[in-house]
Amino acid sequence: MNSTHPDMLALITTLKMAGITTIILMLIGTPLAWYLAKMKSRGKVFIEALVALPLVLPPTVLGFYLLLLFSPQYLPGQIWQEATGQQLAFSFSAIVIGSVLYSLPFVVQPLQKAFEQLGDDLLEAAAMLGASAFDRFFTIVLPITKASFITAASLGFAHTVGEFGVVLMIGGNIPGETRVLSIALFDHVEAFDYAQAHIISISLVISSIVLLSLIYLLNRPNKSRLTTKKQTESKRFS
Amino acid sequence: MADLSIKVMVEYDDFSLSIDEEVSLTGITGIFGHSGSGKSTLLKVIAGLEKHAQGNLAINDLHETDVLLASEAKIFVAPQQRNIGLVFQNSRLFPHLTVEENLRYGQKRRKNTEGNKSLDFTEIVVLTKLDNLLTKSVAQLSGGEQQRVALARALLAEPRLLLLDEPLSALDDKNKILMLTLLTKVQKQLNLPMLYVSHSLAEIQQLANNLLVLSSGKVTHYGDIHQVIHQLTTNNEILHQTSLSLTVKEHLVEYGLTSLALGDQQILMPLNQQIENDANTYTNVRCIIAASDISVTLHEPSESSIVNHLQGTITSFEPCQSQILLTVNCSGQDFFVDITAWSAQRLSLIVEQKVFIQFKANSVRTLC
Repeated sequence: MNSTHPDMLALITTLKMAGITTIILMLIGTPLAWYLAKMKSRGKVFIEALVALPLVLPPTVLGFYLLLLFSPQYLPGQIWQEATGQQLAFSFSAIVIGSVLYSLPFVVQPLQKAFEQLGDDLLEAAAMLGASAFDRFFTIVLPITKASFITAASLGFAHTVGEFGVVLMIGGNIPGETRVLSIALFDHVEAFDYAQAHIISISLVISSIVLLSLIYLLNRPNKSRLTTKKQTESKRFS
Repeated sequence: MADLSIKVMVEYDDFSLSIDEEVSLTGITGIFGHSGSGKSTLLKVIAGLEKHAQGNLAINDLHETDVLLASEAKIFVAPQQRNIGLVFQNSRLFPHLTVEENLRYGQKRRKNTEGNKSLDFTEIVVLTKLDNLLTKSVAQLSGGEQQRVALARALLAEPRLLLLDEPLSALDDKNKILMLTLLTKVQKQLNLPMLYVSHSLAEIQQLANNLLVLSSGKVTHYGDIHQVIHQLTTNNEILHQTSLSLTVKEHLVEYGLTSLALGDQQILMPLNQQIENDANTYTNVRCIIAASDISVTLHEPSESSIVNHLQGTITSFEPCQSQILLTVNCSGQDFFVDITAWSAQRLSLIVEQKVFIQFKANSVRTLC
């Protein structure tokens, strides 16, 4: 396969979409997760439900409403068109925005859980030692919840690679722009080209298993504590 | 001489704190109260960790006033800007850093005001006996070691005021004594003002010069430690006891006793290794004698195994339930004595009467 092969192009489009989506997700998911973890008011439940919505909603529902919003007849699509001179629906930007919304819970939920578990104790201690909020985030929060950040980014990435419904609704099937692997696979099946469909399917299965195994390896409970305990025990018996 | 001016209200549904007090920032001030009295909340207000605090909080120096909180003027200085240290009940060490990295965390961020000579890292490490632990991870430390790291970490940030919130409550007796000794030394060497919160009066009595007593969110007593304990005893708020701070006269090693000076009289207490070995720190000894451990005789006992007998005058005679609380002044020091009404009648004790009080060496208690 060379880079002109349509499936190769679909792979590149997929990786580009998932990569950009993951970066945006981390940038907006982190403060949102922080806010949800620290927030105590009742409104929190509503925001949590909103973030979790893509988990239960058929992707085509989300895609349908986004398609309407992105079209030039509605304000968001209109503003976009005036600002960029291009239509938002059926563009690469549209599938990135759709993916961000669709994969949001996969990033927000692990981060929120990590921030809740971290609690305020260490942050208060750091503040009393003179660390500003920014300083505390980078020297305490980030290193301690590192595994959750990697999990969130990996899940966000993997879930975006695997999406179909939203992309189909708002992106269509434009090679090099919105034609991603899952759509290419659908095309092959429709054309009874099962050999090519197998190649895409099996590569997605294998890469997903590898990625998920890495995430679970990273999140093994008390990994570091177990090693310290083992070390002290072996010292005691030596 | 600096002081901390506190005019603060904190209101919750089921609890409120209302303080209006000028607390002198010299030596160690103990804050005593039962759980729920608001002592930890007060520390949080001073630290800046209590967001609901209303009112005014400022550190007044000879030359200037440094406002930390003025809620009407919408002034709230963030905890990291206050240059106040806090040692928590749980040590709150950073689990992803080694002991040394924990210690350096505060040191790197210190706000060294001009002219102050900065603290030497090694000096603090040696003082807190952490030299062998620097490369360890905090998960490998014992409870006592963790609290020493927490203390050293707070000290290295060079705060102008150190707050301690029940720092000994999670430690066993041996480590409690170690920490108490350490805190006494730290206070002597660094001359750092401290506010020490505890529900243990015995702990506070060992350390503090001043005592502030909180009850249901209000200050009920504030003043010299011995005087406040005296008041608490006469008000029947605590077990009747005499709190003393006495000069060490000599150690009678062959008898296992230490002699303390009380005017021209002396008090003997059990010899204590800590006090004997560290004569520089312990020129003075703080001790407590329970009122129930002291008895009264009309004549000086000459054939008794009880080593302490002091001559004094009864200055007060207070019936208290079925007992009598006597105050006996010996060489200028008031001692509280609990006796039964029966004994009081049998000896026909009255105010202004000259008597002898006696107590065993072992009833002179100290925590170190």
